[in-house]
Amino acid sequence: MTVDVPAIIVSGVVLASLYAMMATGLALVWNTLGIFNFAHGIFMTLGAYIAWTISDEAGLGWGLAGGFAIAVATMIGGGLATYGLLVKPFQNRKDIVLVVVMTTLAGSFFLENTGRLIWGPRLKQLQRVVEGTVQPLGVSISAHELVIIISTPLILLALYAFLRWTRTGSAIRAIAQNQDSALLIGINVPRLYALSFALSAGLAGLAGALLGGIRFIVPNMGSEPLLKAFIVVIFGGLGSLGGTIVGAYVIGLIESTSTYFVGIYWTNAVMFAIFIFILIFRPTGLFGRN
Amino acid sequence: MAAMLLDIGGVEVGYGRTQVLRGVSIQVAEGTHIGLFGPNGHGKTTLLRTISGLIKPWRGEIRLRDELISDKAPREIVELGLIHVPQGNQLFREMTVLENLTLGAWTERARAKAKDNFERVYALFPRLAERRSQFARTLSGGERQMLSIAVGLMCEPRMLMLDEPSLGLAPKLKDEVAEAIGRIAKTGVPFILVDQDIEFLMGLTDQLYMIDHGEVVLEFASGQALDHRQIMEMYFGTV
Ligand SMILES: Nc1ncnc2c1ncn2[C@@H]1O[C@H](COP(=O)(O)OP(=O)(O)OP(=O)(O)O)[C@@H](O)[C@H]1O
Ligand SMILES: [Mg+2]
Repeated sequence: MTVDVPAIIVSGVVLASLYAMMATGLALVWNTLGIFNFAHGIFMTLGAYIAWTISDEAGLGWGLAGGFAIAVATMIGGGLATYGLLVKPFQNRKDIVLVVVMTTLAGSFFLENTGRLIWGPRLKQLQRVVEGTVQPLGVSISAHELVIIISTPLILLALYAFLRWTRTGSAIRAIAQNQDSALLIGINVPRLYALSFALSAGLAGLAGALLGGIRFIVPNMGSEPLLKAFIVVIFGGLGSLGGTIVGAYVIGLIESTSTYFVGIYWTNAVMFAIFIFILIFRPTGLFGRN
Repeated sequence: MAAMLLDIGGVEVGYGRTQVLRGVSIQVAEGTHIGLFGPNGHGKTTLLRTISGLIKPWRGEIRLRDELISDKAPREIVELGLIHVPQGNQLFREMTVLENLTLGAWTERARAKAKDNFERVYALFPRLAERRSQFARTLSGGERQMLSIAVGLMCEPRMLMLDEPSLGLAPKLKDEVAEAIGRIAKTGVPFILVDQDIEFLMGLTDQLYMIDHGEVVLEFASGQALDHRQIMEMYFGTV
């Protein structure tokens, strides 16, 4: 049998790009606040629906650029609201990690059902950013997918530059490394928590709007990517954003390879097997430190 | 009567249901340097954390130049210039010496003075200047203590609280740190210095307080001569 290597790589890198965007946001919040946000997947879903409502002819018909911009902006607001309502009130508790698992899960179910009420069960699809196919390096690939493949590293690079070279970014890293010390030099920690949440939600919204061009938009479209993003964050190593990004590409490629050979239904089982196998040898993930 | 620089009045606080401080009152006059000592785990660090707003007192109040600070957030207290250099290795580990110092000058007030303060801390701790691009996690114990103090100085303190800056240091390094603290004292920055070593404190402060079981049990001027036996008595209560 001939193996279509380019197809495996392309679909793997497209998946990886979406996972990288989702997982980076999840990891940013984990590193900074020390919590896992289970509402992260719903940001993706809502991002797709809002982009659709704004841009599609059946909605407001304001065009795709407007759809993307408003989707991301709304999700930034959604991130701020989620932080303020579901996280901040519990931050002084010792069991914050568990409490926030429950509050964000509850928030996520609530929003998912609200989405179902607003947009109904019918499948929707977003316009593509660019129509048609292109053939870079002789491999045929849809232009929309190429946009995803190219824009993801650029967005992540911008995030890296922000965290590495701006004052606010280095304060966010400082909080992640030592919250008390950050407080003791006068950093407004709650405000930067909110900002991390907002950035993370904005990224998820963008990922959703991009995914809406290649998959149908359904009320639970964010759950699978959220699950994968969790795997990626743990696989890449908690606490390491670089590890998260590398982890996303590794997981994406494993997934597409596995889908090609054993089919979509067995892929999750294969992925978890590989994931567990690797964690046995590297309990802190690829790049994690204790 | 002139207002006290820092007025700690009947502070009670604890963790969960366990009370740690049982009514601590200490007054620090302008321009003075005071020392706190006492057995491990009796509330010295807890007192400093309460003053800097990391924990809220259950009862009592704390005033800085007559302004109530015990209901303020840590950030607001830092903005007033009351700077807490915490105990132990509390640096930003994955950042360089330079990044740690730069972050110290976070508030507007401190940023305006950052340039002078960089010169000041590098003059005080030349070793930090040599190691400015080294990661904090790779520094030696002594260098970390120096960096902690230096970060505090970058905050442009009007008053400092130093929690066991000589903890775990070899005698020679301890002397070096003591000398640096002495020089900070000479620049006129008042401070509260916490340490286990009474002799270390005597050389650097005007007034000493012993904290035992969450209370001030003893207060005396640093000049007052104490012999070894008296110190042992203070710690162990043997008569
Ligand atoms: N975060 C915390 N949660 C619960 N208990 C705490 C916490 N921090 C300190 N304690 C307890 O409060 C008491 C006072 O601790 P504190 O750190 O203030 O003592 P200390 O006088 O600074 O001791 P040391 O000289 O060892 O630094 C101790 O019994 C300690 O176990
Ligand atoms: Mg202590």
